[in-house]
Formats: sequence, C-alpha cells, structure tokens
Amino acid sequence: MWDTYIIIPMTNVLLWIYESTELIGFNFGIAIILFTILIRAITWPLTAQQLKGTQGMQELQKDKEWLSIQKKNKNDKEKLAQEQMRIYKERGINPFGSCLPTLIQFPVIIGLYQSIIRSLAATPLSLLNMSRSLYSFLDVSKVIPLNSKFLWMDLGRPESLEVFGFALPTLAVVVVITSYIQSKLMTPPSNPGDQSAAMGNMMSIYMPFLMGYFAMTFASGLALYFITSNLLGIAQYAMMGKANWSNLIPGRK
Amino acid sequence: MKLKKIFILTMAILLSVLLSGCSSAALQTNSWSGLSADTEKAYLANGSFVYALYLSNGSQAWQYPAEKADAKESFFATPVLTEDGQLLIASAGANHSLVSLNPENGTSNWVFDDAEGTWIASPLAIGEYIYAPNTDGKIYVLDSNGNFLWAKAIGGALWAQPVSDGEIIYITSLDHHLYALDPGRKEVLWDVELTGAAPGSAALDTDGNLYIGSFGSVLSAIDTQSHKILWEAPLDGWVWDAPSLDGTTLYVGDLEGSFHSIDTADGSENWAPIKPNGPITGSPLITNDLIVIGTESGTAYAIDQDGSIVWQQAIGGRLYTAPAQSGELILFSPMETDSVLVALDFDGRQVWQFTPAK
Repeated sequence: MWDTYIIIPMTNVLLWIYESTELIGFNFGIAIILFTILIRAITWPLTAQQLKGTQGMQELQKDKEWLSIQKKNKNDKEKLAQEQMRIYKERGINPFGSCLPTLIQFPVIIGLYQSIIRSLAATPLSLLNMSRSLYSFLDVSKVIPLNSKFLWMDLGRPESLEVFGFALPTLAVVVVITSYIQSKLMTPPSNPGDQSAAMGNMMSIYMPFLMGYFAMTFASGLALYFITSNLLGIAQYAMMGKANWSNLIPGRK
Repeated sequence: MKLKKIFILTMAILLSVLLSGCSSAALQTNSWSGLSADTEKAYLANGSFVYALYLSNGSQAWQYPAEKADAKESFFATPVLTEDGQLLIASAGANHSLVSLNPENGTSNWVFDDAEGTWIASPLAIGEYIYAPNTDGKIYVLDSNGNFLWAKAIGGALWAQPVSDGEIIYITSLDHHLYALDPGRKEVLWDVELTGAAPGSAALDTDGNLYIGSFGSVLSAIDTQSHKILWEAPLDGWVWDAPSLDGTTLYVGDLEGSFHSIDTADGSENWAPIKPNGPITGSPLITNDLIVIGTESGTAYAIDQDGSIVWQQAIGGRLYTAPAQSGELILFSPMETDSVLVALDFDGRQVWQFTPAK
C-alpha cells in the first residue's frame, strides 16, 4: 500500500523530472529541487490554511475576551485550557495549525527518502527493485545509473565538507537554520499562559534540530529537500506578507 | 507540559525509526548471494558471512568471519578461487574489504581495504595478478599477496567481473560502456558505447568476440579486433548477468522473463524465446547437455538445446543468483528463504539443502 501509493509514484516523478534535466546533463540535485517545488505546490492549500490559522491566533492575542479569560483563570490552568478550547472552537481556529505542515512533511520525508534511495540504486537489489517501480511510459534505461553527484555532494550518502581536516556537516547546519527561521516566521505571538502556543514554540525549537539530525545522518538528497522546502516556505510567507519577522529576534514578541 | 514532551519525543522516535529502518534494510540486504564451487566444497557469499559447505552432504565446513558478524562487512560478490589456492571474497559493506581466505579452513591470508568504493564485482585472478573492479569506477590491481600495485580509473561504477583473453582485460561498466584495458601499459586502449548500463560480465569466444547484455534490452556482439559492434539482438527486457556461451550459441535470460537462444554469427534467435514463470537475472548454467536457469519466482528449469523444458523444480524464495555446478550437483542459492543453498541432481531432485545456524 505504502509502496504503491507513495514510493512508486514519487520514484517515477523523480525519475521523470531527472529525465527532463537532459539539457543540463542529467542532474539529480536539480530533480530533487524541482520535485520539492512540486510538493510545495501540491501542499499549497495546507499552507494557506495554516497561514489562516496563524493569523487567527495572532488576532486572538489582542482579543478582549481572550485576554480576559487569561487574567481570570491564571491560577486555574485546567479551567484556562477549557476556556481556550471553547474560543478556538467558536472561532474555527486550529491551535495545532502551525504544527500541521511540519507533521504533514513526515510521510513526504519518509517517502522521499525511500524514493531517493530507490532511484539512486547503488546496489544490485535496489536497482532491481527500482526497475520494478517504473511506470510503462518511462524509459529510463538510457539514464540509469543516475548521476548522484550534485555540487560537492553524493546525494545517496550523508554529506560533510572537509574544512581544515574536519568533516563538517554543512548541509545539516543549513537545515537547522532554515528550519528554525521558517518555524519562527510562522509562530504567532503568545501569552505566558497559552499552552498551545507554548507547544508551537517548543516545536519550533525541537523540530529544526530533529531535521538537522536527519540531514546529518541520512542521504544528503533528503537535506537538499529540507533546505529547498524551507527556503520556499520562507519565501512564500514573505511574499504573502504573513511572515512574523519579529519572532527571529530573541526576547521580542 | 509532560504531554507535549511525550508528543514531540514520540514523533521524533517514530520518524527516526522509520528512516533508520529504511537505511539499515538497504545496507544489510543490498544484493543476492554469490556462489561458486570446487570439487569438494561450495562457497557462498551470503551477506554477513561467507560459508564453505561440503558438497557430499551440505554440512558446513567453515564460515567467515568464524565467530561474530562484522556490521561493516557485506559479502555478495561471487567468491573466486585462484590458481594458487586462494579464495577471494569482496565486501559491499562499509569496510570496502577484499579478502583472501584459505579455502581449506576459512582463515584470512590478507585484506585489502584501500578502495574508495564498495565491491560488488568479483575480482579476476590471472597468474600472479588480481584485477578487482570497484564501484568507485577504478580497477585495482594487486599481486597475489594482496599488495597494491596500481589502479586505473575506468569510468562509471564497475559491478561485473572482467574477462580476459590473456592479454587485454575487458570490463563492462554501468556507464554504458565496454572498456579494453591493457594491463601492461596500464591504459584503456579503446571503449565501445553500449545501449544501456551493463551490470553483468561479457562472454568472450575463441574468435575474440565479446557478447554483452545490457539494460538497453539488447545483446551486443563486439569484435575486439575492430572494436565495432557486429550485431545487436533485441531482447524483451533488461539483461542483468553475462550470457552463457556454448559453441556458437548464446543463452541469456531477461527481466521480462524470456529465455533466449541466440546464434553468435548474426544474433538471430535459434528458437522462439521460452517464457518460464518469472524474470531471470543469473547467467544460465550449461551442463550435461542441459541449460539450467533459475527464476525470480523460485523455480529451477532445465532446458535442452532445442528449447524444450526437460524438468522444472520449485525451490522457493527468489533465484537471482546464477546456478553453479560441481560434480553431479547443480547448486542454487535462493533468497528470502531459510535455506540459502539447495543442491539438485541432474534430474532436478533435491539432494540436500543448507540453512545457516541462527
């Protein structure tokens, strides 16, 4: 099921895009970047919904009723949570909206990782499995094996750049930074007692490091996806005027 | 607060496990077994271990490593017996090790682990030299004591054992080329572009013609004198392994599950392709007037020279590895079953099977 509906379609799209990069000498890195743009376009409605939710949360922070219940129930956290949930429900706000796009990425990340490994097929069994994954309209025999080199990276392997004799996981660092910026830009301002917003804040700290860990540990093609996706997300928020730039400065709300 | 931490931790662990699961599975099972035999023993490179089994009854003579598996070793290349009595095994694991063993007891003579890439191809041993193609695109040349002599960058990942006429080394590559290497001059003399990646070896006949199957779904004949393609025979699917040569007839199977008999003179089919019950990856075994193949569906077939199926035997698992023969036994190494080696007689009856101790 997972294979049929996630891995195989993803692998074929990746290979189809790769075939289309013939003019630039078949480049799997470019194929991953184009694939990420495609994924971003497909998940556009989710992102728009998330931005709407974020905006709702921002407006809520200035709402009189919201401020009043914070004040009134500051010593009763259970009651405060109940009241907050009531307001969320009444106004159609999803308090987990800021986490959703990140969580939605999880199956995409797993699927993409498996598709990259399957497409690059560095071993006989993976190449045989890849040959089984091809749709009939694709004739990839002319492009196999795929060129896994992109800039200084082998996209099928974890990345590191040697600087003064030390192997530095540069992509992982870029992943952490861009993930952090993206999370912060879409995190609404919060009051001290707002548990949902606190959770969002916590996610915006933990998730970049988690993504960075994955970027450091797994195939660098995955890190390329993370970075492209993050940059596209940042650009998207900025273009829509929804980015909360003040969040990037520590101490400012 | 506790709930939030648990939630985040759960998500992190879940994703880590899923991704790690994918990568470790890919690392542990990256190919199918490599199988060879001498008159006394069968040698099976089966992932973490290489097994030596007595042909008389299928019992284990030794295993390498003798005790605990090394997570950085992954043996799949067909073990090679050299003229001076060494058994060469090559690892597709992180250690990149090419190991010489004593075939009598499985003890190590020497280890070469300076290659940049992993070993999927078996080395070719000629006299006192060992020619070992690597996935890093280089062929490494060692002496019979494992001392590095020189290396030559060929191009593309090299997955197939080279062949030689005694002077020139012919190497197929995943970069869609056949290369002719002169080991004396340490130079590539010429190359020929193929219709697709060639993960299998070439077959060389006594007239100096090479026959190579590729992912271009053709079998190509190349004249080593003129360096030209003589003919290309279209097949139904990708060809994974070397064709087998019997006089002026070539036998080859493809991933679409067709088995072909082809005339070396012009590439014409001797009879209509046979359709066994699954894709064919391994080279056919020619023995005792029979051509023996295994299919991905786990069935062994014996076919006569007229293209009639003489017998078929369900073995189970997936038969990707080329069958091997020793004495009166035909050996198959199925994948995805407990028994990693099955011995049949010439009538297709099972003689014994070997299941490694867990």
